[in-house]
Amino acid sequence: MNTSTEQPGISRRQLLRCGLLGTLVLATAGGIASVTRTLRSGPGTGYRQLRESHIPMLRRIIPVILDGALPAGEADATVQAVLDGLDRSLDHLSPAMRSQSLQLFDLLSLDLTRGAATGIWRSWENATSEQVANFLSRWEHSRLALFRQGYGALNQAILLVWYGQPLAWAHCGYPGPPRF
Amino acid sequence: MLIPDLFRHGLERGWQVQNASQLVEDLTLEADIAIVGSGAGGATSAEILSAAGFRVLLIEEGGLFTSSDFRMQENEAYPTLYQEGLGRLSKDGAITILQGRAVGGTTLVNWTSSFRTPDQTLAHWASEHGVVGHDSRSMAPWFERMEQRLGVERWAAEPNANNDVLRRGCEELGLHWAVIPRNVRGCWNLGYCGLGCPTNAKQSMLVTCIPAMLDQGGSLLYLARADRLLLAGDRVAGIECVAMDERCVAPTGRRVRVRARHYILAGGAINSPALLMRSEAPDPHHLLGKRTFLHLTSFSWAQFDHLINPFYGAPQSIYSDHFQWRDGVTGPMGYKLEVPPMQPGFSATVLGEPGTPGAGLMEQLPNSNMLLALLRDGFHPDSASGTVTLRGDGSPVLDYQLTDYTREGLRRSYLSMAEIQFAAGAKLVKTVHRDATPARNMAQAREIIEQLPLERYRALLGSAHVMGGCPMGEDPQHAVTDSLGRHHQLENLSIHDGSLFPTSIGANPQLSIYGLTAKLASLLAERLA
Ligand SMILES: Cc1cc2nc3c(=O)[nH]c(=O)nc-3n(C[C@H](O)[C@H](O)[C@H](O)COP(=O)(O)OP(=O)(O)OC[C@H]3O[C@@H](n4cnc5c(N)ncnc54)[C@H](O)[C@@H]3O)c2cc1C
Ligand code: SF4
Repeated sequence: MNTSTEQPGISRRQLLRCGLLGTLVLATAGGIASVTRTLRSGPGTGYRQLRESHIPMLRRIIPVILDGALPAGEADATVQAVLDGLDRSLDHLSPAMRSQSLQLFDLLSLDLTRGAATGIWRSWENATSEQVANFLSRWEHSRLALFRQGYGALNQAILLVWYGQPLAWAHCGYPGPPRF
Repeated sequence: MLIPDLFRHGLERGWQVQNASQLVEDLTLEADIAIVGSGAGGATSAEILSAAGFRVLLIEEGGLFTSSDFRMQENEAYPTLYQEGLGRLSKDGAITILQGRAVGGTTLVNWTSSFRTPDQTLAHWASEHGVVGHDSRSMAPWFERMEQRLGVERWAAEPNANNDVLRRGCEELGLHWAVIPRNVRGCWNLGYCGLGCPTNAKQSMLVTCIPAMLDQGGSLLYLARADRLLLAGDRVAGIECVAMDERCVAPTGRRVRVRARHYILAGGAINSPALLMRSEAPDPHHLLGKRTFLHLTSFSWAQFDHLINPFYGAPQSIYSDHFQWRDGVTGPMGYKLEVPPMQPGFSATVLGEPGTPGAGLMEQLPNSNMLLALLRDGFHPDSASGTVTLRGDGSPVLDYQLTDYTREGLRRSYLSMAEIQFAAGAKLVKTVHRDATPARNMAQAREIIEQLPLERYRALLGSAHVMGGCPMGEDPQHAVTDSLGRHHQLENLSIHDGSLFPTSIGANPQLSIYGLTAKLASLLAERLA
C-alpha cells in the first residue's frame, strides 16, 4: 500500500480514515485540528509561517508540480525561492485562510496523518517523484471533495508564487514589466 | 521616478489622513457622515457629500498604496491589494474571488472597462425587483456625469493582440463585437491595471474622488476595519472599528469608535452584508447576504503562430455581447466575452495545470491568448447564487454552488470561446477545465467540451465582480434597502455599493456603481441639508 499504481482513489479503510481525519483537520477548528495544532511547532527557522515539518514535504511536492518549468541545474535555489514566496503569501492571508492552509500542510506532513492521507508511509525525504505524482493524482480524482479541494489549493498556491517571480520568466518568455 | 505621485503631494499639503495601524491608544472620531469603504461606491459618495458641505470621514480597512508603490510585480500586488491577501475563495474552495482591499478599493486594481448598466437590467429590476426611479432615462445623466468625472472614453488606440483575437474571431464569424470605454487619462498602454496603475492614468478612486474629498476638508482613516455597527433602537449610534496591522491581517488591539449623524456602508458585496450580520442588524425577512452574484467566469486558452505578448497593453479593449441578451433577459444564461491581462502568475494560476502539460502551455505564453466569459447570474430563478455566512472569527465567506442552469451556460460559453479562437486562427485551444485536453480544431474541441463534467474543482472558475447581498427595492420583504439605498429598518443608515444590485449587471459593474451611488449621494445630501 505504500506505492499506488492501483486505481485512483484509496482503499475503503483508508478512505474512512482519511475522510474522518481530513474532515476534522480541514473543516473544523476543534477536534483533530487542535491536536495537530499542539503537535505543530512554531515557524521554522527563516520562516514566518511555514513550520519545520512542512519543509521536507514542500521540497518534494514543489518540483513535481513545477516539473518542466524549473530551470535546469538550479533546483535548490528555485525550490527555496518558492518556499520563501509561499511563506510570504501565507503571512498575508486572512487568518481563516492561513489556518486552513497550514492545516492542509500539517495533514500532509505530520506522522499521524501523512501515510493515510497521501500513501507516502515513509518520510517525505525518501519519497520518489513518482510517489509524489501518484499521491497528487489520487487527490485530484479522489471521491472526497476535501482532497480534490486540497489538490487545487496546492497547485494554485505554488503556481502563483513561482510564476510571480523573475526566476520563472525566462521559461515562459516574459521579459518582465516595462522599465521607464 | 518622473511620474508625480499625486497622493503623496496631497499628504504633504496637509490632508487629514490617519493610519490606524500606528495608533498607540484608542480613539473616538466624529463626523457628519461616516462611510465604510473607500472603493467605487464609498469614494464617489464621499466626494459628493463633502462638496455639499458635510464633514465626511472615510474608513478603509486596507492599506494606503500610491503610484510610487506600484512596481508592476504580481508577487507584491496580490498579497497587499486584494481581499484576504488574494486568499478569498468560495466556501468550498472551488471559485477564486477577486476583490480589492486598499484605499481606493477594487478600483485600484480593476481593469478600467466602463459600461453603463444595460437597459435590459434596469428594466428587469423595475419589473421584477420593485426598484423605482432608476430606469435608463433617469440614470443616463448620472452615468454621463461620472463618465466625465472619470475620463471614460472608448479606447482610441489599437487593441493589443490579445484583445484583437476576440475582434478578429467575432468579425470572422459575423458575431457582435465593440470597443470598450475605459476610465483613463493619458494611459501609457502598459497593461498592469490589475497591479495598481504606476502612472496615475487610471482614474481610480485613489486619484479622483478621494483627493477631491480630502481637498474639501474630508478625512480618511485607513487600516481600520469596521467591526460592528452600534445600534440603538432603529438607529445606528456609532461604528466600532478595529485597527489592523500593516499587513491588514491581525488587529493591533487599538479600537476606533466613530460617531456620525448618518452612516453609509460601502464595503462592497460580501463585506457589507457581513458587517450588518456581525452587528446583528435587523433582517426580518432573512435577506442579508443571500442573492450574492459573481458573473461566474469561465476561461479558454489558445495558442497562435504569431506573437501576442498578452501581458502587455491595455488589458481590456474589445468585448462581445453576442451571447448576452440573444435568448432573452430571463432565458438560458447569457454571457459577455472579454479577455484578461495575462501576466504569468495570473495566467498559470487560472490555467491551474501542474507538471509538464502546464509547463508546456506556459512556455508558449508569448503566443497565447485567453478569452473569458462573464455569466450573467441572477436573472433566471434557476441561476446559481451565493450566500454569505460568517466564520467563527466573524469574517465572511461566500457559499456558491453551481446549478444545472448555470452548467448549461458554462458549457455553451466554452464552445463560443473555442469557436472564436479558432476563427481567429488559433492552432490549439485548451478549455480551462481539468479534463480538457488541447484541441486542434473546432470539431475536436466540440467533442471534448461536450464530454466535460461540469463539477466543482474540475471546471476552473473565478470571479472579479461580486454583486448583491443587500438588494434594493421598495418591498421590505424582498429588499434590504429602498431604491435610494436607505436601509428599510435602520433610519440613519444607507448602503452605497455593489451589494445593492438585485441581480448581476450583465456588464463589468464599476460604472453601474459610480452612477447609482452618485445619484444616491446627491439625493442624500439634499435630504440631510
Ligand atoms: C481584478 C479585477 C478587475 C476588475 N475589472 C473591472 C473592470 O474592468 N470594469 C469594471 O466595471 N469592474 C471591474 N472590476 C470590478 C469593480 O472594480 C468592482 O465591482 C467595484 O469596484 C466594486 O465597488 P464597491 O464600491 O462595491 O466595492 P469596492 O470597490 O470593492 O470597495 C470596497 C472597499 O471597502 C473596504 N471594506 C470592506 N469592508 C470593510 C470594513 N468592514 N471596514 C473598512 N473597510 C472595509 C474594502 O477593503 C474595499 O477597499 C474588477 C475587479 C477586479 C477584482
Ligand atoms: S494600461 Fe494604462 S491605466 Fe492600465 S496600468 Fe497601464 S498606464 Fe495605467
